[in-house]
Amino acid sequence: MIRREFLTVASTALGTVTLAPWILEREAAAAAEIDAAKSALADGALATAKRLGASYADIRINRYRSESITTREQQVQNVARSQDFGFGVRVLVKGTWGFAASSIVTVDEIRRVTQTAVDIARANSAFQRKRVTLAPVDRAVAGWKSAFEKDPFDVPLDDKIQFLLALNGTAMKTTGVSFVNSSMVWVNEQRFLATSEGSRIEQYLIRGQPQFNVTAVSRETGDFQTRRSLGGPQARGYEYIETYPWQAEAQQAADEAVAKLKATSVEPGRYDLVIHPTNLWLTIHESCGHSTELDRALWWEADYAGTSFLTPDKAGTLRFGSPLVNIVADRVQPAALATVGYDDDGVAAQRWYLVKDGIFVDWQTTRDLAPLIGRKKSYGCLNADSWGSVPFARMPNVSLEPGAQDASLDDLVAGVEKGILIYGDGSWSIDQQRYNFQFGGQTFWEISKGKIGGMMRDVAYQSRSTDFWGACDGLGGRSTYQLNGSFVDGKGEPGQVGVVSHGCPAARFRQINVLNTSVSMT
Amino acid sequence: MLLTEAASRAITQTLLGNVTADDAVVTVRSEDYSHLRFAANTFLTSGRREGVTARVTVWIGKRRGSASTTDLSGPSLKQAVEDAQTFAKLAPVDIEYLPSLAQQTYTPSRGYVDATARIDLPARARQISDAIAQSEKANIIGAGFHQVSLESRATASAHGNFDYERGSLISLGMTARTPDGSGSGYFARNHFDVERLDTARIAREAIRRASDSHGARMLPAGAYPVILEPQAVADLLDGGMSFDARNADEGRSAFSLPGGQTRVGTRIFDSRINIISDPFRPELSKFAATEEGVPAQMTYLVRNGMLETLRYTRYWAQQKNKQPSGPFAFILEPPDAGSGVDEMIKTATRALLVSRFFYIRTIDPRSASVTGLTRDGVWYVEDGEIKYPVRNFRFNQSIYLMLAPGNVDLIGVPERVASSEGGTDPLLVPALRLNAFNFTSQSDAV
Repeated sequence: MIRREFLTVASTALGTVTLAPWILEREAAAAAEIDAAKSALADGALATAKRLGASYADIRINRYRSESITTREQQVQNVARSQDFGFGVRVLVKGTWGFAASSIVTVDEIRRVTQTAVDIARANSAFQRKRVTLAPVDRAVAGWKSAFEKDPFDVPLDDKIQFLLALNGTAMKTTGVSFVNSSMVWVNEQRFLATSEGSRIEQYLIRGQPQFNVTAVSRETGDFQTRRSLGGPQARGYEYIETYPWQAEAQQAADEAVAKLKATSVEPGRYDLVIHPTNLWLTIHESCGHSTELDRALWWEADYAGTSFLTPDKAGTLRFGSPLVNIVADRVQPAALATVGYDDDGVAAQRWYLVKDGIFVDWQTTRDLAPLIGRKKSYGCLNADSWGSVPFARMPNVSLEPGAQDASLDDLVAGVEKGILIYGDGSWSIDQQRYNFQFGGQTFWEISKGKIGGMMRDVAYQSRSTDFWGACDGLGGRSTYQLNGSFVDGKGEPGQVGVVSHGCPAARFRQINVLNTSVSMT
Repeated sequence: MLLTEAASRAITQTLLGNVTADDAVVTVRSEDYSHLRFAANTFLTSGRREGVTARVTVWIGKRRGSASTTDLSGPSLKQAVEDAQTFAKLAPVDIEYLPSLAQQTYTPSRGYVDATARIDLPARARQISDAIAQSEKANIIGAGFHQVSLESRATASAHGNFDYERGSLISLGMTARTPDGSGSGYFARNHFDVERLDTARIAREAIRRASDSHGARMLPAGAYPVILEPQAVADLLDGGMSFDARNADEGRSAFSLPGGQTRVGTRIFDSRINIISDPFRPELSKFAATEEGVPAQMTYLVRNGMLETLRYTRYWAQQKNKQPSGPFAFILEPPDAGSGVDEMIKTATRALLVSRFFYIRTIDPRSASVTGLTRDGVWYVEDGEIKYPVRNFRFNQSIYLMLAPGNVDLIGVPERVASSEGGTDPLLVPALRLNAFNFTSQSDAV
């Protein structure tokens, strides 16, 4: 049972309810007080919006706490905590969205800001071409918290600092290591949503991102190589620090950073690739996660993130990959970053297939997107990264299912005559319609006649999304499955940062184009 | 509504008044931000956000802690200071600690214009509706983003420094696509002065490029001479090359040399290349100080192709006996008037004209090599004329070698442009005609 943190009603005078912005620790029994205070504020916003002519309105009153510690070698560079508290009101007037937000959470400010949201919607509605309609949603009055065992905000700061310095110390003991940077970031989101359709939802989320980067510099040759940590961000508490083998990985990373200085530079050409989940998650994210976003397919993201090679007519018919490939969208998977109880439309979290037996079958949707392809319900993909951001379609966790047989990494390697085994995500790039991609990695190992050989370097694989997934002829089993993800997935205008996980097994791909990325300076 | 200088000063004084630590720097920001987003020739989202943030960093016995809050009430500010002090007591000694700055002298920035702050909702809606109407008339599907950002920032130190700045920014970017998806064009500009943003031109250029890129042909990948429009140059150079001195000294930069040396003092680029940081350049008019309080200065990083200096944090400047660097404002300019893009086309024997790059990521930091793709308009130029549009390419290219002697053919007239992926921070960069640029594969994307 976690302890709840909540806002206390600081003053009630002249009809103005002010939520104290600093956090007071109280016991869970007092939690109802929060709901009452927020609900009272929400009632004011929703009543104002209705009176001003909005056909739909919602208000999010959110607090975001974060803590970050950054170090290098045996120095702590910064220790910082921040809290960000405010509200955002979204209204629909004559089929046109309006939004306004403020960091001053009072009844008067909420009334003023709601008026602003309506004014914006009304001004724009005079020139609107296509009116927004919303798919129906079930009314929800609920609370939800993410799955974590140990609230990182309760762990003494010194424990965290000593953990990072120990990581650095482990790496720096290795001969040839020149620098180590490490950090951990913890985030707590306390979200409250009220809608004019009667939903009242409160959610409490914890997530963290520990990471490090080891650098080996050869002063003689002027070369330098890095090896970044493989453990990705997760929606877990401090137990993630205590259960993942971070110290062992720091030692391995140090050894590998030094070894990369003398590794064999890859000969460009076609190779069979065996890709570890610490690398493959990012390829899933870019080639499948973003291409199945319906807003992209409808050109809503044309100006920035781009559109998609998938179009509405292709659902159910387009071969996305080999028959082995099953890719699910999932907002209920424990420890995954995009897992929630409800999205910012108040739609309950779900799990559904995007690619089934290699065929592209479905989209990521929100309430305003679903009706545009004739759907009666949203899959619940609406999200805003702040109280001050307009919620819009964001990626759920998108994961590749493991193979039916519990094949090991070695089993996959055994089927390769000439290939490369890839660990860790490196450089990544993909075009605006998600066809052509190029990915690097952290470490690369030659595969020859079914055996793992020496280390390689300067490797990037480049392919076309459907060609790549079509070339998948081997999947690891459940025992190879891992969850990785991104803390900083950018999309939208104004730009917002999303968090999302991608689970996958190790997988094998035949005859993929491999480039050598090194460039001689002479 | 932004915080005034007086209000900001009062808040910084409240914060510093709560500090019992040995040293402190506090920053108070306010913002008033609004946007209108459109796509598929209709409005999508539109909103306004008003917010404030106070951040306090303290040192106790050279131990550092930091905290921030979005509420500026007295108890909240006090709590933020206490949090920062609590963290500082728990932190190890910060060996890079330097005392906060005493009062500095700042040249006021001119990057805030009242008229930009006064743009009203109906006028903006009408302006964007006009852009959509232009698209409809040309049988084009338009998508774009209009934003107005106002911000204030006050920084104060326990040693008596204080700085208050305001900035305004208005921008419009638009992507136009032919209905069949075979052509796409993009154009974007921003300015701190609303009178200097030509929204009609932005829509017109995006639409023209979409029409002109319709029906593109596939060319083989390979090294081509290129004409990079200012937008493409900004996309490449914004973040594509770090001038950080510490990284270079530590041997982990394209400017590092074997034996712990750097390339400072050597000719690295074409002799017509000057790279300058100058926040006071009228077209940029950026903040006059860093958040730490270091005053802005004009600095040649590369002069006549020679790497003259790098950028130093306060700590690294002290270690290396250099001046710390103020705010960065990237300018690439030739010593003469420069050539227009039209002139570059007319005098080209063979080249690819590139309007924009996308998804640029480092692939080899030792050579400042990046990968990415062309987007929203590539054309084949031959014998002084644009012959036909070309399908997009992926490239792998060292920026360092791109600007090296022998590869730069012509340099254009610098324009204020922001990277299309990097936000609104403007650069002053010209078009470039280069002898070779490495396109490594074809992309089906339009």
